[in-house]
Amino acid sequence: MAVIDDPREAFGSLRPVCVLLTREPTVHNVERLRTQLQGLSDSALQQLQEYILFPLRFALKTPGPKKDSQLLAVVECVAYVLTSTCVQSWELLRDLFSELCVCLCSPSNPGKPAPVSEELKTAVVQALDALLHAAYGDIVLHLFEPPMMPALGLAISLLLELGEHEKSRKLQTAALKCLQVFLLQCDCSQLHRSMNEEEERMLGRTFASFLPGITQGLSRVVTGDVKQGHAVTVSAMRVWFKTVVLVMDEKQLSKDKEKPVVELGRVGELMVQRTKEWVKDTGGKLAVLLKKMLACSSGHRHWKVRMEVVELSSHLLSRCHGTLVDSISPLLEALVGLVNDESLEVRSRCDEVLKSMAEQNLIGGNQAFIDILSENLHSLTTSLPRLMRSADDQDKLSTLNLFLGYLKILGPRVSAVLNSAAHLQRISKALMQVLEMDVTDVRIVEERRFHNEARGEQHTELLERATQKKYFRYFTDERIFALLQQLCRVLGYYGDLYLLVDHFMDLYRESVVYRKQAALVLNELIAGAAGMNLETSVGQKDLVSQENLKAAVTSVTEEYTSLVNWHLVTTSVESEQGDSTAFSQSRLLSITMSANTDYLKSSAGLNPTIGLMNSNIWQICIQLEGIGCFALALGPQFRLLLITALYPVLEKAGDETLLISQAALGAMRDICKGCGYNSLKDLINQNSDYLVNDISLNLQRLSQHPHTPRVLSVMISNSDASLLPLVVDIIQDVLMALDHCYDERAPVFCVVLHSLIGAFAVRWFPAETSSRNECRNPDGERDLPEEMTRFLLDYHRQRQVAEGNAAEEAELEDTEMPPPAPEPDDSEEGPAVKPELPPHISIAKEVMERCIHLLSDKSLRLRLKVLDVLELCVTVLQSHENELLPMAHRAWPPLVQRLTNDDPLAVLRAFKVMCTLGETCGDFLRRRVSKDVLPRLTGSLVKQAPVSARAGPVYTHTLAYKMQLAVLQGLGALCCRLDLGKQAAELHCALLICLHYLSCRQPPKLIIGCIVFQHLIQVDPDSVWLTLNELYCPNSYEPKHSSLHAVQLSGMGKQRNEFTENILKLLQEMQ
Amino acid sequence: MGPLLSLSQFWFLCETVAGVGMFLFQAAMALPPPDPQFVLRGTGAPVNTLHFCCRNQEQDKPLLFSGSANGAVHVWNLRTRRTESVLEGHGGASVLWVQTLNSRDALISQGRDLRVCMWDLAEGRSVVTDSILTESMGFCQCSLLDREGGHWLLAVPGADMAAVRVLDLPSKTPVCTLKPDAKLGMPMCLKLWQPDSGSSPLLWAGYEDGSVSLWNLSERSLLSRLACHAEPVMSLDPGKLRGVSGSSEKAINSWTLDGQQSLKLQDSVELVNPGISHLCIREDRRILATAGWDHRIRLLGWKKLKPLAVLQYHTDIVQCVAFSDHDVPNKRLMAAGSKDQRISFWSVYNQI
Repeated sequence: MAVIDDPREAFGSLRPVCVLLTREPTVHNVERLRTQLQGLSDSALQQLQEYILFPLRFALKTPGPKKDSQLLAVVECVAYVLTSTCVQSWELLRDLFSELCVCLCSPSNPGKPAPVSEELKTAVVQALDALLHAAYGDIVLHLFEPPMMPALGLAISLLLELGEHEKSRKLQTAALKCLQVFLLQCDCSQLHRSMNEEEERMLGRTFASFLPGITQGLSRVVTGDVKQGHAVTVSAMRVWFKTVVLVMDEKQLSKDKEKPVVELGRVGELMVQRTKEWVKDTGGKLAVLLKKMLACSSGHRHWKVRMEVVELSSHLLSRCHGTLVDSISPLLEALVGLVNDESLEVRSRCDEVLKSMAEQNLIGGNQAFIDILSENLHSLTTSLPRLMRSADDQDKLSTLNLFLGYLKILGPRVSAVLNSAAHLQRISKALMQVLEMDVTDVRIVEERRFHNEARGEQHTELLERATQKKYFRYFTDERIFALLQQLCRVLGYYGDLYLLVDHFMDLYRESVVYRKQAALVLNELIAGAAGMNLETSVGQKDLVSQENLKAAVTSVTEEYTSLVNWHLVTTSVESEQGDSTAFSQSRLLSITMSANTDYLKSSAGLNPTIGLMNSNIWQICIQLEGIGCFALALGPQFRLLLITALYPVLEKAGDETLLISQAALGAMRDICKGCGYNSLKDLINQNSDYLVNDISLNLQRLSQHPHTPRVLSVMISNSDASLLPLVVDIIQDVLMALDHCYDERAPVFCVVLHSLIGAFAVRWFPAETSSRNECRNPDGERDLPEEMTRFLLDYHRQRQVAEGNAAEEAELEDTEMPPPAPEPDDSEEGPAVKPELPPHISIAKEVMERCIHLLSDKSLRLRLKVLDVLELCVTVLQSHENELLPMAHRAWPPLVQRLTNDDPLAVLRAFKVMCTLGETCGDFLRRRVSKDVLPRLTGSLVKQAPVSARAGPVYTHTLAYKMQLAVLQGLGALCCRLDLGKQAAELHCALLICLHYLSCRQPPKLIIGCIVFQHLIQVDPDSVWLTLNELYCPNSYEPKHSSLHAVQLSGMGKQRNEFTENILKLLQEMQ
Repeated sequence: MGPLLSLSQFWFLCETVAGVGMFLFQAAMALPPPDPQFVLRGTGAPVNTLHFCCRNQEQDKPLLFSGSANGAVHVWNLRTRRTESVLEGHGGASVLWVQTLNSRDALISQGRDLRVCMWDLAEGRSVVTDSILTESMGFCQCSLLDREGGHWLLAVPGADMAAVRVLDLPSKTPVCTLKPDAKLGMPMCLKLWQPDSGSSPLLWAGYEDGSVSLWNLSERSLLSRLACHAEPVMSLDPGKLRGVSGSSEKAINSWTLDGQQSLKLQDSVELVNPGISHLCIREDRRILATAGWDHRIRLLGWKKLKPLAVLQYHTDIVQCVAFSDHDVPNKRLMAAGSKDQRISFWSVYNQI
């Protein structure tokens, strides 16, 4: 349809319809008009506006009952016209306004909306909306002049009614939006006329009359049913604050020179004089409403509502802070509580608002603000402990968020607030109570660090692990702790560091009850003061000077590492250690050594102080974390503090309690990062002078510093061979100290020696895999016929050589393999020229010397440890046979004692040492082993064989069993290594003994343990074969030629017996 | 049940308890000697001499200079407890003596390569600006005396066995050569001294035969001589009018200078073990420290030579002791250098 632009033509086309409509105002006719209108251009429509509106208004005005549908059509049509045109005359505006209002109100009770359909109401509201938008220029302002007030009031109250009581959300929002249009502060996209000051004032004055109605009505909407949907709430809040801002605007009121009251008659009574008293009075009333609204909305589930809270607070605070004095505190609270909102939009808007407030210097310039804030803070901290005890985690979070928000908004003025002793007291006490830790977990005390040498790898793994999770009494949520940390950091950032550190140090010293919490707080304070881990939203501020920070760090570190606070009881083992040897001995003698002895032990130590120990452990951990954190805070400046701080940290890294050593390693890692070292190794090597100094001094006072050797072992286990030259000096000191106090402290030293020699053997100077590690005899990979030929030739030759006793020689079992070439013995080269030994060798020698002495110590635990060290020494020394052999010679007698006359545990370990010795010294030991040791071992094996054969399943838990297993497993290798094949008698003897264990009645593991045979097979396969066949022979051997004798073996033709199965298996392996 | 203890047993017990109590009491009364505050290692050779420079520290960097037997002078920063730099100027020959000239930037060191070197250490430099040949093969340390106006006197053991040369620094012009008439042997230790009253500087010298002599430099004459030791004098410290000397024997002797400028033996302390390699009176004249061949450092009250403490840490001969010149008295330290290559620091009797 072509658009009709010419007004004449348009008039022509509209005339019939309008006439018809005037005559018969039916829905149909209205529709026709509507369709006609759509064909008109806007300019034509504008010119014909009044003409078109006339029939419509006429339809509205005609008295008598009208149908809803008819009215609806008319109103919609009016709205259509209004949206496309503008109203230029005040009269038209006024008339239309009143006509539309009449449509809304019920004829019987003008204050209430008419009981018409929702559609109609919506249409009327939209038409009103359109009318106000269509008003041209300033004629709309006439609407707000005093004479119009009754009509305006009616419209407003109607709209409020609709907004509050209607069921339809659409209608509700439309009504609220329309209200907003009345304020001339619509936020639609159309162009709006901006008002000048005078006009605004006029508007404000007018609305002051309606303020109570609007605010009350809307606050009812806001606090109403949550189910009404967020959109209604949001628009209600928006209208609320816009109205309030309009009326209570500080700028208006400050200049409000009240005009002389023009005589207005009755209407004048409606007018409100915005005097000071009125402002004060209204402010108080509004505060009540506001509190109600905020209580509902600031925790609203929908983020848009919370966002509106931010807007509301922002507008009211920036425009009305002077007039709404009582509301400032709740508004700030709302704003501050949303600073850490979960929704990003809300958070960023909130930050923005706070920032702009800060920029406008609203807070800073206004002492009242600060007073209110600090007042709020005070009451919050007072109620904090109670809230933390009773509320659920969500509430705790929001409370703490609020707390944090206050600190942030106070910013640099925090320090001023904290200068008040009452505030500081409150805050610190609240923190102390909230951060109380839960110290009931037994595992913390129980978990032990392992003393194994493969720790190098473990460490890297540990390093990856985050700091240990802490358990608190009053909350479990990790976020709460993170929030508390953040809070302390912000405190440290803005507060006076000196004052805070001083105060919390006092608390730290005051009571054990506060100590952990105070340390936690101190750590975060200093981190915060250095600007570490602060969220970006924190305003900029000059950081504390490095000097002050350093002074604070120094004093706190000193306090942390002072003897009283550092050497706390964390384990009950130490006290137990004395009698544990006696205890263990009696326990070991009993047959059943159950696997749960560890449990028994720990439960024995489960005394009432377990909570205390737990608490101590945590305290040390927190202090360690603190030291790490200080290093990060101070950066390279911390290097100077390493003189005093590094040693204690390393001491704790060697602690037996897992948690502590982990925390210490974490601290070391932080120190590395802070001071700019690349690795723990660098940290230790470059500061070895400090460490060595302390170790050396403390070694002289071992009774006061019993953990000194630990530090050395931590150094060793975290560094590499480059450390050795730096600590050679101190190792000598350690050995000397060991010589001085053999008795009491020997176990501690053994740990160091163990880690030292272990490091030598495993990591620093690993032995190149020597040929010794393999069995000397060539493996049976040879070609059988060729071997046969060689054997026969050999046999023949020997027979020729030994003419006379050929018969004896023919015995198969005496046949030997050709002996291997003897080891080149370079011990002959003599002590004439003694080249300087590498330091690790000479140290290992000296250590071995001490081991020899300590081997016969009366404490079993120590003997076991010493055996371990001895074994490692042997491994280290294996490359220097000249040094090793004399030492081995000296170590032999006490070792034999351990092997023969000692606790089974020691025998077990000693046997292992002997195996290692066998591997490295070889020939040197052959005679001694076969003379001193073998008879004993084999004797005990024989004795135990029937016992184990008869024993039940529990037997596998006994020490005797383990002993048997170890000996069986080791014996073969030992024989092989020592080349016992040369002593045929011993070999045979060993064979016979091991045969006992081929019985299927033996525990299965022992039978598998008989790999001794596999070794023996390598040493002398023929002899083994024969021995096995003597016991049970599966085949009969028919001579291939009649000239040969028939082979007769004693095992032939025997019934299947207990040995059959295993012998068959072995024979199969030999094939 | 019979009596649990017989009477004699009871008394025995009482005595034991009392004895333990007494022991504890005494232990509490007599504090154990302190440990070193810290120890410096890393000279790599026996430490021969020490010199503190802690005064006027603009950058809060107290220094200690140590001369060791491998010819190196180590400059230690006592704040970080690490070497700032190592000065190698004597070609590996043992450094006998180091001293600063007024400030920390100018150092003088004497080595057994027969040279006395002047160092410029300003602005991180470490260069030898000048050197003097000493011509003496002995172990006698030089001595330096500050004269007003940027001049110093340096006493150097001379080429002739018994002579001592005195030079003016920085001009290096010889002032005098002092040679005793009697046969005293080589000079073992020297100390230049400016008495308060007289204008002429004096020189104290300890000789091989155990005598201590006082020389007047301007008159080039021997003022007094005191045969106070039977063995060579190893070290002396003249104090003011009362000095002290130690030798390789078992005694420390103190002597006074009376109005007639003559020396008198005053006091003597018997030691358990012989041999004093060095001794030093603290600036405030309250404490005397001695470095012993028995690996020990002894502290004596200077007034009455009352033994106060025996400090034990080193594992070899202690070769030198020195008191720091910190401005703040309670920061003052005592250092001892030993043949075991370590320098130990002690905080002793400095709480005033």
